[in-house]
Amino acid sequence: MSSELERRLEGLFAQGPEPEPGAAEEARHRALRALRPVATPHRGLRAAVLAFAGVVVLLVIAAGSLAAAGALHVSIGAKPKPARPTPHLTLPKRANGVAAIVDGRLSVVARGGFRSEVAASAAALSPRALYVAAGIGDSLVAMAPDGRRAWSRPVGGKVVAIAWAPDGFQIAYVVHTGQRYVLHVIYGNGIHDTLIDRSVRAVRPTWRADSLAFAYVGGGGRAIVYDLGHQSREVVAVDPPVTAVAFAPSGDALALRGTSGVSLVEQSAFRHIAAADVEAFGWLHGRLAVAVPGPGSAVIRLFAPDGASRGSFRARGIVRAITPRLVVVQRKQDVVAGQTTLFAIPRHATIRGLEIG
Amino acid sequence: MRRARRGDREAASLLFRRYWRDAWRAAYAITGRRSLADDVAADGFERAFAALGRFDDRRPFGPWLHRIVANRALDLLRAERRLSDEELPDTPDLAPAHATGDRGLLAAVGDLSLERRVVVVLRYGVGMTPKQIAEALDLPVGTVNSRLSRALEQLREMLEVEHVE
Repeated sequence: MSSELERRLEGLFAQGPEPEPGAAEEARHRALRALRPVATPHRGLRAAVLAFAGVVVLLVIAAGSLAAAGALHVSIGAKPKPARPTPHLTLPKRANGVAAIVDGRLSVVARGGFRSEVAASAAALSPRALYVAAGIGDSLVAMAPDGRRAWSRPVGGKVVAIAWAPDGFQIAYVVHTGQRYVLHVIYGNGIHDTLIDRSVRAVRPTWRADSLAFAYVGGGGRAIVYDLGHQSREVVAVDPPVTAVAFAPSGDALALRGTSGVSLVEQSAFRHIAAADVEAFGWLHGRLAVAVPGPGSAVIRLFAPDGASRGSFRARGIVRAITPRLVVVQRKQDVVAGQTTLFAIPRHATIRGLEIG
Repeated sequence: MRRARRGDREAASLLFRRYWRDAWRAAYAITGRRSLADDVAADGFERAFAALGRFDDRRPFGPWLHRIVANRALDLLRAERRLSDEELPDTPDLAPAHATGDRGLLAAVGDLSLERRVVVVLRYGVGMTPKQIAEALDLPVGTVNSRLSRALEQLREMLEVEHVE
């Protein structure tokens, strides 16, 4: 009886599910990053050092001869770049979380307790920064407050943009599959993945305040509002190509950036807001904020959702992002939001997906 | 293994590819959830690779890795139980994933206590010997044999009850 039971157990486990390829790839990257080379044993070290020294002497002699003959040009400073450390983020007062991708590595810190640093192609905080969704390898991954993954879904390509609905129940994401960018919506718990559009631009979608619709940029460069309830699309009458879209945090005003600058559309009324030279734009305390670069500082012009001007102020540095409550600027190597230095970045580092929740 | 210990990423990748599936399946069999299995197996490899310098390369890598994975899985499950004792069943999605398999036996395995289920998984799912399991879980071999024996006995009883019903 026991041996039969044991055979059944072996058979049972042999039929078990297989790991998903996306999970393996991410795990392999994590594991390889953790690899710590062990120092080579001392045996033979002296001989190796002597041999190395001999080779160096020979090379110096040869190089000296070539340099003297004008046949060798020595250049210094072409060393391979060492891997940059992921910056540690600081949470501003009254913020729930901060996420940023610096040189391809995602840093997240949240009031709920988690601090995560992984290689990622895109990221978005959930409402109140309770979770973070990230493109890791060829998967869309949601990480829980304790840093472990809540769920992971292979999506067949690199996720380039993610937007979490204001109610937290759905996530819109753009994935690069082969030659195209494809738009999907998935529930916040990682189920019910739905293909929305087979050809879109690699632009972050934006959700309307009621979470029943979102805007994205279609393959032709036009902004499109997709209504989830009616499963209908409405093309926004702004000249293509649109390069960024942002719904207001309340109401249905939609700000767009195109070749001619920033425009505002509300209840089918269209208003051109600012000329092409825009450093950043977004919704700040319920008003559309448009940062126009100036010498040493940017001018932030504010507009009501109907397009009426609401004044302006200056922000010292380069405006990196406009978040619902804070303008994020870069001053030399410091990235600052309000009175808080979020992090210091290496020179020439790229920042993407900077978000304060 | 030696090349991986010296930091050779290609060798470490080979090591990963060779053991990933087994480690993941062990993690899944213990935790019963894909999301947890992904985490546990990934954590296991991360910890194993970070500690390769301390690993005695005259010993087999597999049991050592499974020890890390099994302990990580147990830690996570115990932490979850502490956090949410009533909400989390032991094997929430084990059954759907094995839907075509031996359902009665699967349900019976799911009803085993965590301690018994782990030794059953490591013995029959991963193929470890009682001695290897003992080393992996830091238990005396006698305890492992005892848990295995009691687990099998309990499974037989449950299957008999099911058969009678």
